Formats: sequence, C-alpha cells, structure tokens
Amino acid sequence: MSEKNSVIMEVKNINLRFGGVIAIQDVSFNIFEGEIRAIIGPNGAGKSSMLNVINGFYHPQEGEVWFNGEKRPSMEPYQIAKTGIARTFQNIALFKGMTTIENVMTGRQLKMNKNFFWQMLRYGPAIDEEVQHRRRCEEIIDFLEINHIRKTPVGSLPYGLQKRVELARALAMDPKILLLDEPMAGMNVEEKQDMSRFIIDVNEEFGTTIALIEHDMAVVMDLADRVVVLDYGKLLADGTPAEVQSNQAVIDAYLGVPH
Amino acid sequence: MSENGSDLDTFPKVLARNVSKFGNSPAYREKEYGIWQTWTWSEANEEIMNLAKGLIKLGVKEGDHVAVIGRNRPYLYWSLVAAQHIGAVPVPLYQDAVADEMEYILTHCSATFAIVGDQEQVDKIHEIKEKIKGLKDIVYVDPKGLRSYDKANLHFFNDVTNFGKDDNGDLQAELSKRMAKITGETTSVLLYTSGTTGRSKGVVQTHKAIIGASSGANEFDRWSPNDHIVCYLPMAWVGDFMISVGQVMVAGACLNCPEGADTVQMDVKEMGPTVFFGPPPLWERLKTEVNIRIEDASSFKKGAFHYFMNHAEKVGKKILEKASVGFIDRLIYSLGEFIIYGPLKNMLGLTKVRIAYTAGEAISAELFDFYRALGINLKQLYGQTEASVFLTMQDDNDVRSDTVGRPIRGVELKIADSGEVLYRSVGAFKEYYKNPKATQETKDKEGWVATGDAGYIEESSGQLRIIDRAKDVGKMKSGDMFAPKYVENKLKFFPNILEAVLFGSGKDKCVAFLNIDLSAVGNWAERNNINYASYQELASNEKVIDMMKQHVEEVNQDLAADTTMSGCQIHRFLILHKELDPDDGEITRTRKVRRSFVAEKYDDLVTALYKGDNEVSTKTEVTYEDGKKGYLEATLKLVDAQTYMLKEKSDAA
Repeated sequence: MSEKNSVIMEVKNINLRFGGVIAIQDVSFNIFEGEIRAIIGPNGAGKSSMLNVINGFYHPQEGEVWFNGEKRPSMEPYQIAKTGIARTFQNIALFKGMTTIENVMTGRQLKMNKNFFWQMLRYGPAIDEEVQHRRRCEEIIDFLEINHIRKTPVGSLPYGLQKRVELARALAMDPKILLLDEPMAGMNVEEKQDMSRFIIDVNEEFGTTIALIEHDMAVVMDLADRVVVLDYGKLLADGTPAEVQSNQAVIDAYLGVPH
Repeated sequence: MSENGSDLDTFPKVLARNVSKFGNSPAYREKEYGIWQTWTWSEANEEIMNLAKGLIKLGVKEGDHVAVIGRNRPYLYWSLVAAQHIGAVPVPLYQDAVADEMEYILTHCSATFAIVGDQEQVDKIHEIKEKIKGLKDIVYVDPKGLRSYDKANLHFFNDVTNFGKDDNGDLQAELSKRMAKITGETTSVLLYTSGTTGRSKGVVQTHKAIIGASSGANEFDRWSPNDHIVCYLPMAWVGDFMISVGQVMVAGACLNCPEGADTVQMDVKEMGPTVFFGPPPLWERLKTEVNIRIEDASSFKKGAFHYFMNHAEKVGKKILEKASVGFIDRLIYSLGEFIIYGPLKNMLGLTKVRIAYTAGEAISAELFDFYRALGINLKQLYGQTEASVFLTMQDDNDVRSDTVGRPIRGVELKIADSGEVLYRSVGAFKEYYKNPKATQETKDKEGWVATGDAGYIEESSGQLRIIDRAKDVGKMKSGDMFAPKYVENKLKFFPNILEAVLFGSGKDKCVAFLNIDLSAVGNWAERNNINYASYQELASNEKVIDMMKQHVEEVNQDLAADTTMSGCQIHRFLILHKELDPDDGEITRTRKVRRSFVAEKYDDLVTALYKGDNEVSTKTEVTYEDGKKGYLEATLKLVDAQTYMLKEKSDAA
C-alpha cells in the first residue's frame, strides 16, 4: 500500500476565506496513492471545507491543488469528478424517491457516452452501454451487501443502509480518490463496524485511495494510515495515528486548553 | 422404476445418470449480480469433476473428512458431491456457528480440509487454528476481503477447479480409480445432530442410505426432473442435505440458490418453486405478515379478504382433497382464487407449489388449515437425522395437522413397550462417528433404531402420532403425566409466543418461561401506542404480561379438559428478559429447546417461581454474534395464572 509512497494528491498553502471568516489558513499536506488518509479536528476546524476544496466545490483564494503530479487548473466540480474524485456527504444526498440500483447507476452517468438520441429511444448502443454499466453497479451492490434492497426506494431505508448506498454510488464512478465526509456519523456500534470493514475492503480490493473525515477517534486510529489534524483552519499535526495521538498540540486542542 | 431404483446406489452413478438423461436441463441456479445464472447437469458435472480433480491435487485422501461451511450456494453443493466422488467424506457445518462450536466438530471428525463460503468462515477457522492441528488447507469461494491473507494454505475455489481443467490426465486417472472403488456401503456424508441433549453426535450415512431414503420420498410424492426447489435452510441441517442433494439429484430436479440470506423471500417469489419446505415458524411468520398487511389495507380490501378467507376455510380444504363440494361453493371459490387466493399465493411465492412440507415441530391446526384452505398442499412428515430424514409422509388426500403420516417404502415402524417409536429403514444410519456406545444404545442387533420420540400408530388411519420426546415425558408428584413439549406447543401456537419452556417433572405444579415474538407483539404494540426500545422493555410491559396471562389461562383451560394432561396446567410463569439463543446454547441451531441446559442456567428463576415470589432480579451471561460475552441484568415479574379443575373430578387441581 504505502510502500510505494507515490503522491497522488497534494494541497499546497491553501487559504480559504468567506468574507471576513478564515476557514482554512495556509494548509498543506499530501495523500499517497492507495492509502487511507484521515482528516480530523474539532467542530469548525475546516475539515469539510478542505474536502470541498479538493473536489472543487470551493475555490480557495490562495494555494494550489496538485493531482496526479500536475497542478490542477480551476475547474467545475463535475469536471473534477470526471478526473476520478468521488465523494459522499455528511448529510446523505441521495435521490430519495429512486431505488438503490437507480441511485447507484447515477454514479455511472459521467461515464455514459451514447448520445441523447439513443438514450431517449433506449435502444441499440444505449442498451449495450447500460448493460455494461449495470454489471459494474451490480458488482458494487454485491460488494457492499445491499442486494436485498436493490429495488427499494432509498427514502424508506434506515440511515445506516442509506449511507451504504451513498458509498455505492460514489464507488460506481470508479474513483481514484474517494472522499468520505463523516461516513459513520449517527451510526450505532454495529453499523460502524460494518462500515469500517467496507472502507477497508474498498481500499484493499479496488485499491482506491480514501480521504475521510471522522469524529470517532477509535475508528480513525484503526482505519487510517496517516492523519491530518486541523484546528481553527490551521494545520496542527500530520503523521501516523500513533504520532498524532502523542502530539501535545493535538491533545490540547481536543481537551480544550485555552489558546 | 429403474431411474429411481436399485441399480443407482452411489452419487457418482446418480450424477452420471443425470448427465446422460437430463444433460441439458437446468440443475443448479443462483442469482448473482441480480441475474439468475443456470448450470445444466452437464455443466454442473464438469464443475464437480474439475473440483474433484483439484481436491485430489491439493492432497485430499480417501476417507478424509472435508468440512463444508457457508450459505447455500451451488459451489458448496458441488463441493459436497465432489468430495464424495474422490472417496472423501463431506461434513457440512452450520455457517452461523461460533468458533468454539466449529472447533468441537472439526476436532471430533479430524477434518483435514475445509471448503468455505467467505472471509467470515476463514476468520473463524483461523481463530481456532491452534486447536485443530489436523486441518491442512482451506478453499474459499468468495475472495472478498481475503486479498491480504497469507495464501500458503488458503486457496481460491476457481484456482482449485482450474487444477482440474489443466489436468494432463494423471488426476483423471486417479479420480476414475477412486470412483470405481465407491459402493453403496461407502460413507457418503457425516452429519452432526443438533444436540438437544449435550454435544451433537456425528451420524455416518452411506450412499445407499441417502439415495434409498431420497428415492422412497421422491416416489411417494412423485418428484420429477421438472421440479424446482429453493434451498435456504442451513446446509448442515439433514433436511437440506436430503432435499438439496439427495432428492434433487435422485429426481434430476433443479436446485435454486438465493442471492443472500436477506433476499430469500424475494428470490422465492421470482423462482416459483414447485416443492417447498418450511419449518412451522416460517409458516407462522408468513401468515403473520399477511395479517399485518391486511390490517393496514383499506376496508373494502379487508372485507373482501375476510369474506373469501371464511369461504376458503369452509370449502378450500375439501376442494384441495378433491372431495365433493357444491357448484355454488366452487364458483365462489374460483372467484376467490381470482381476486384473493391467487394474488396472495403469488405474493408468498407459492403459486407453483405442488407440495409444501412442514416438519421438525408440531404445527397448529389453525395455521395448517390456513394454507390448505388457500389451496397450498401443505403436508407433514416425520423423520430424523439417523433415518436420512424420511420415515413417514402424508398422502395428498389424507393430510392432518395432528398426525405425521404413514411409513414410506423401505420403512418399518413399531412401538416399543415404553411407548417409544422404533424403525427399521433403508435410510437408517451406519453408526455414530467415534461413539460405539451411543450407536449400541440407539440401534439394536436386528437394525431397529430408537427415535427417542414417544408416539403411537392410530388404528383408524394407520398414521403415526407423536406425543413428545420420550425422555422428556415424566411424572408429576401427583403421578400425573408430565409432557412438556405438548404444553409448550400449545403455547407456541399463539403467534405472540415465540418460545416456551415448561418445568414440573417431579413437582406438584408446573411453571413456565415464555419468550414473546418480537415482530408479532411489536406490531401489536405499535397499533396500541405502546412505546418500547428493546425486547426486554416490551417483555416487561404490563399489558404484554396481561396478554401472556390470557394465553396461558386459555391453554390451562384446554388442558383441564384432557384427563391425562390436566396435571400439566401452568400455575406460574414469567417472560424471559432475553430471547433464547443458539449462540448461548439455550436452543439448538434448529431451534429446539435444550431443556436441561436452560433449567440449569436459569435455576434462580425456576426456584423463585416455585417459592412464590412476585419479583426476581437476575444477571445473565449473553454471547454476541462475534463470540464476545456480556451480561444482561433484569428484574422479572413472576405471574400467577388461573388453573382449572376437571369437570368430573373436582379435587384434581
């Protein structure tokens, strides 16, 4: 995994402001290919903003994002998605009225090339294409063990399963980097165990690089290869879970020592 | 009949017959990636042969025990058959068994190889690796999660079959040599009993026994190559082995494997089986589901449902049994078939069902009649692991809920002086593995096997009637008969009661433990605006206790009318704070109560019931699914129930 240590993504000196509010201040770190990278920090530390910078939803005032060894020009989120960055959301953002398989298929949308005409007729090349993409989606559904809800509208599913469907949709994009924004928020212990296992499986089986934000420290320390700690928009620490855990600045931030 | 008959006495011969006679008809199906995949008998044969050769290459010897662990998948059924072909003995294990349980069986039979479904099973075996020294290699079907495991003694299923495909002839030669040695007397499978009393025993069954019992049963119910079966019950259970391997192969029928444990009901609906086996709790659950849905339906639909169901209760059974029914009644029934029964059967996936079986436990007359009224040919049968299941079955026009049928071809029955049912049959087991003492105790020199069940043959119909486990039947202090299962079954016939355990042997009165049925009572609670967060909370609700009290008193009233059983009335009871669980050893994996274990574990509760306390605090050890242990503390209410007197003998109560 990290023995290669080739950098797939690097953010350099990111500064992000909303009016007078400084969300991220001069943060730099990198992500190795094939690793699980965790971003942690207290509430309001700028973790989600950081993910939004990486997937192009926010455009930082200063700083550079390097992906696959190239500096990334300013792009729209959908263009960035096409380069191989997928994400899930802190608050589930699925199409509630659609079934699991339909939601997962939307993850393949960017990969479907047949023109509007064929797709409208749902005939010929459009069908071939759909079959091919459906197979990949079915593999992912099987992988994440959500076969039994394949045809259930996601709005009626319990929370833990909806989170899994969202992960499936992100995986359907065959991403190089998967960004997970609090994949385990609001889950019970058993659901967390399941989700952790799936995250490890995805990382190992598909070789997907994963960057995740998580509050449950036990989970982060078990899952992550390396951890970035943010606090008040600043980089507080960066290293292996063991290094970060013993870092005095991190302990202070979490225990609430006055700044 | 030559195709069912004596010349086919080994599974290799049966498989070869299927290839030559039904080569192109479907043999195995499995839903994968949302699509049903099919293997014909020829294709399945190729898979089995390649696997057999691959196993030889791995070093599986004749007489080796090969453990097979996982959910119902074609690959694992082929593994059973492939092991038989190379003279090894397959040993199916329960896939939800915790590591400790697996350790017992794997060491007892000194398994040398294991073929498993997925990572979960591999992990469990690794956990106990130190203690099962004899185990050499593991073969896994699903590679998910196993990428980074040490592969020295771990092989991917497809790689093993590829050994067979790449064979230059040597493996084939060895395979042919081994197949030639297999006779009807060769051991074909080692099946472990569920173990209601202590550790489970390994039952050794020959090819001839399994095939003999299967063809007897097939003949009885006219199985054909056009039959479709869905396998969803644990592969380690003798019933699944007999149906999914024995009967399916002997008949040349088609075995359908669901996508996963959670999709069974949907898959059954898509598959439309022609023969379906379900234990009584399953039939109970399906009916409860129907009732819940009807409760939620519009009043018009509800009215139509009740009208036609009433009509079905009146004439449905008669029509099914081809008895004479008036023209108008028939007309109304066909209308009902069109708007209620048909769609209902379709929803349950039972439209094409020719025969449905229930066995393993008693079934209530009401539940039994519900399905028969709908036109589903639900029948009972009686058997046990030691007999390759099939002992008695019911004729289509002679089906009853309180008897279990007449002996099938190849089975002789007799009742011992003690009242115990004895049998001699083609399917009778060879021996208990490594347990000659138990073999001797169960099977006498003339081949009569003791079932352990007390029963009698009804003279009017010739059908067998089972009363209770022979060793559970005891005497109360007063000398009255104590038949716990009989009473427990009466309690369990209430949809709200999931499990019941009766105590009272040698005492002056009976007391009982109950488990509520969480889905049925939970649904009732929802309707009555009762909030609850857990099983424990619902079980201790006052209204639930009242409901249970009513059920218990109804049973008491019933028992009071029966002279022999009136002593078994329940004087006091409690609702347990946890569900009886196989992981805790309280019930077997086939959901049979382990009476003495429960009595010992909850000794404090039994004592409190007899002492006359109103409340008892207790602390119980529980095992979680991953094998970890924890404790559950609770204060339970002990409830008095009214008992009734016999009408003619007023001092009996």
